Amino acid sequence: MSTVPSRKRPLTLQINGRSYGPVDVPEDMMLVDVLHEYLGLTGTRFGCGQGECRACTVIVDDANGPREVRSCITGAHYFEGRRIRTVEGHARRDESGKIVELSNVQQAFLDHFSFQCGYCTPGFVNATTVLIEKLAKAPIAQADVESTVLEALNPHLCRCTGYVRYYQAAKDLVMATPGLVKDGPAKKEQAS
Amino acid sequence: MSARLSRRDFLKFGVVAGIGVYVAAPGSSALAALFEKERLRPLPWDAHTGKIRYRTDATAKVTGEKVFSFDIRSRDLPGWPEQQSHAMLLRVTKADRLYAGFDLSVLGDALKPDRIVTAADLQRDGVAFPAFYGEDMLLPEGKTPAYLGHAVALLVFHDFARFRAAKNALKFRDDVIRWGAETGPLERPPWAAFRYVRVGGATPFDDDAYSSLKDTPLFPSGFDRKRPLWPQANAHGALDAQGAAFAANIAAELDAPADGTLVMEREYFSPSIDTAALEPDNGNAWFETATQTLHLVSATQSPQEIAEIAPLMLAASKLGVRNLVLHPCYTVGYGSKDHNPFPFYALMAGLYGDGKPVRLANDRYEQFQSSLKRHSFRMKYRMSVDRKTGKLQAFAADMVGDGGGRMNFSPSVCLVAATAAQSIYYFPRSDLASTVISSRALDAGSARGYGTLQSMGATEIMIDEIAGELGLDPIELRQRNVFTSGMKNTQGAIPGGAQRADEVLARCRAHPLWTQRGQRKKDYEAANPGKRYGVGFGCVQKDFGTGAEAAFAEVALSKDGRVRLRHIGVEMGTGMATSQAAVCIQWIGRPADEVLTGESQWSELPMFANADPWLMSQAEQDRNVGNPRWTPNLTSPSSASNSAYFFSHATREASRLLFTQGLWPAAIAIWGQGFGGGQLAPLSVRREEARWVDGKLTAHSLAPLPLQALIDKAYELGLATGVIVHTFNRWQWAEADFPLDGDDARLPLDGIALRWGDGSGNGRGTATANGYRMIERTRAHYPPAQRNNAGVVYYSAIGTIAEVAVDTATGQVDLLNHHSVLECGKPIVPELVSGQLQGGLAMGIGHVLHEGLPLYEDGPGNGTWNFNRYTLPRAKDVAVWKQTGDVLPPVSDTDPPKGMAEVVMIAVVPAIANAVAHATGHRFRELPITRDVVMDALRAAPAMKKEQPA
Repeated sequence: MSTVPSRKRPLTLQINGRSYGPVDVPEDMMLVDVLHEYLGLTGTRFGCGQGECRACTVIVDDANGPREVRSCITGAHYFEGRRIRTVEGHARRDESGKIVELSNVQQAFLDHFSFQCGYCTPGFVNATTVLIEKLAKAPIAQADVESTVLEALNPHLCRCTGYVRYYQAAKDLVMATPGLVKDGPAKKEQAS
Repeated sequence: MSARLSRRDFLKFGVVAGIGVYVAAPGSSALAALFEKERLRPLPWDAHTGKIRYRTDATAKVTGEKVFSFDIRSRDLPGWPEQQSHAMLLRVTKADRLYAGFDLSVLGDALKPDRIVTAADLQRDGVAFPAFYGEDMLLPEGKTPAYLGHAVALLVFHDFARFRAAKNALKFRDDVIRWGAETGPLERPPWAAFRYVRVGGATPFDDDAYSSLKDTPLFPSGFDRKRPLWPQANAHGALDAQGAAFAANIAAELDAPADGTLVMEREYFSPSIDTAALEPDNGNAWFETATQTLHLVSATQSPQEIAEIAPLMLAASKLGVRNLVLHPCYTVGYGSKDHNPFPFYALMAGLYGDGKPVRLANDRYEQFQSSLKRHSFRMKYRMSVDRKTGKLQAFAADMVGDGGGRMNFSPSVCLVAATAAQSIYYFPRSDLASTVISSRALDAGSARGYGTLQSMGATEIMIDEIAGELGLDPIELRQRNVFTSGMKNTQGAIPGGAQRADEVLARCRAHPLWTQRGQRKKDYEAANPGKRYGVGFGCVQKDFGTGAEAAFAEVALSKDGRVRLRHIGVEMGTGMATSQAAVCIQWIGRPADEVLTGESQWSELPMFANADPWLMSQAEQDRNVGNPRWTPNLTSPSSASNSAYFFSHATREASRLLFTQGLWPAAIAIWGQGFGGGQLAPLSVRREEARWVDGKLTAHSLAPLPLQALIDKAYELGLATGVIVHTFNRWQWAEADFPLDGDDARLPLDGIALRWGDGSGNGRGTATANGYRMIERTRAHYPPAQRNNAGVVYYSAIGTIAEVAVDTATGQVDLLNHHSVLECGKPIVPELVSGQLQGGLAMGIGHVLHEGLPLYEDGPGNGTWNFNRYTLPRAKDVAVWKQTGDVLPPVSDTDPPKGMAEVVMIAVVPAIANAVAHATGHRFRELPITRDVVMDALRAAPAMKKEQPA
């Protein structure tokens, strides 16, 4: 373990459509620390620092499409020049920053009373958002919806809810969003 | 007070020990980041159906707003300096030798802390823990640590980068703490021991021959090698000696059972667990030297405790603190943040920040190393049953919990474990003893479950085994012995209201998972070679309440028609803010628009308490009761199970009084307007005919009136526009007579204050604060002090059927499905109840299959535990798509909501243990039942000959 502070170098990245930096950040610092201590974005939660609980999940958008990345075990400089989304960036806001409309995923979690303490919620919002966006490009059969949601969200820990209401919200949203399920009701509605 | 902040930003809690205590006023600019008012959208609900559409805190939480104190940095708080300092506690990982200092040379000069605080500093400055948390806030050199993880030093860094690097460098190192001679762990007497003996009359409804409520619980005269010294038996001696004689008779009966009686003797173990609240313990404190004000943002389930005892800590110091400002936040803890020492460490960190705000926040390793744990218990049970009738006869229990290094709530958990052991059964004779020892383990506190998960879980595993011995359907055996309404519990108390475990049993017995379990086992095992299938059942009833439940609540109507609810309760994720807002609907016609939780300031209703409500003698109570401002207890901390019943009582009574003293007379005045008494005159209208329909008040056939019209009239006529109440419950509600008319002459409250009109004029009562007038009671009717011995009288019940598959090659237990039937009165918000049910089940699944911490050197005190090795249940582990749950319909529309957030996690524990037994033929009495445990059992012996009847 190094006993001297790591060298700092400038970090520039795009978060929720806005450019941040250059900020001088130690080379070995994890992104979650930078979000919290340098940028004031604390919606991305610190849970375990090991990548086990996924409360710290952010979305990276690049040529390969959206994907989840654990910010507590991924060095901040990995994100140099990249575009990421955090939980603060999903709702539509007016010019003053006031929330005008929640994302479909967020609204589904509200409607299903999905969360309790809400500490893990940012990770679930991001994971479900990535799932929905991936399904839009690669729809699945209705019979596979439950297993697909389970595979996507199972890594995320929640201690309050027992998961059921998160999963039902995600499933209902997948089923209700046109184009995500090849043989689902939303698809039929769209066709008719 | 900060010169940069207006006084309007804070509400004065009072002066405690010479320290002015202020609470950041929600709605002020002092804590803009956390304002519920700013962050919360009005509670969306349908006036026609009464359905709440989503939680009051939902938008803030789903958009990642700063709602936890973990989110708060100094730059977020108006008036605080920009620069944020960070601190960590250095903790020991041994507790059997003398601590001899520490060596930070590994940090070199570059990472050297800007400030190091040790016990010597604290001693010099007179800084010490409040008495509740014991000695040695920081351990001095030359002493043996009282517990693993004992803090020895605070390291403060004024910039984050160096803090982070230093913390990383110190992690997992054994060479930082220096040690002296080995002493062995500290030996101290147990924290508590209780014993409840009862011998019933001829039937469950006859008077008891002996019981704790009628006579006395047994208390030890002392301890001998951690074992309590109980009173000597003497059938003609003092009450406790008589109790010991009855206990001796029970022991003799179990030692030499009559023919036809089965006596089963078994030992069970329930492990220490971490509540794993995802928000780690944390705080952010700033000592503003110019004004000698200490500001604290901290995560706590008991803010009132901090407001009351932190000033005592500060007043005793020589650091010149004159004011304390507290900022309440949302949090989550499952009991681990109730009466938690951490906020006091945060406070201490603030004192040594050299004028800078200091943030002290656990990472997950530190959280495992220091957070309050669920008590481990080892339980020895003996139970007798008539083989022919299947009727339980006698139950003797000797349970020993490990409370760790500080007392915390161990006495209470010890008591509750004993009183819960009977589960849902009636026992004619019982002798239930419980001891919680002190040890070098981490402190155990009021973690969800609170002794009952441990003791009831064991009972339910034992009952299942007894059913197997008798060749009875396990639910049949339960039905033959179920505790029904009017029976006496093991303390001799008759629980309040209808006991409905019998209905839960009947429903579960008829469920296909249960009725088809034999055939399903055959089918599953035929289709899945190498796997064993099993179905198990558990049914428990959990007490809720503490015997000294107390609350303040305010319901007030603003001139512009907004309904405001203020409450002492803290939002911990359970939806308390949402459900309390909804409780207003019955009397106000709509949920509160604004809910302020964790409120500590109640100068409008200046009640006081001066004694321990649990230890108080009747004489002491009688001496004080004449003072209309006295109460046995001011407030209770928030727990998962006390909001629905106890907090709702305060909210409902405040709403009701606002209706009877404000809205109803306003409505009568409006309906009576006009020549000859208006539309009211021809009718005969009673208050009980009042109904809210689509948000408007009507009665009989009177024209519905919108709330705003009623509020306008109430303001115009100087009727009640705001009500504050105080409640107290010692297994029975305190009541008092008030100089009010009709039904309000006697209320289940011990203090009230009303605001008449806009509060500027005169009205009944003595003016206090903020336009309120306290209406002093003329007579109080407190439950007698003896009622403390009732132990518990409020129960809610749950039955859970679990379906498992056990892989005989790996020992893996897969939970295929589960179904629960819950009885919890009339739910306030059904979605929140079902969410609590699902969440509690998951926590129970963790307890029985996955979670468990070694207590001592290999346990979390060594600083190496995290979620990689402490397995929490994930969605795949909880049958997320298949599980089902029913809530029994309430007895009637007036059945109150009951506490249910703890009971829901318990029945699944024995249900799964019993299912694994059904699958494998092996009984598992030590939790958790991990893969290795199952494999060891399968390797050691073939399946038991006698399996449960399928």
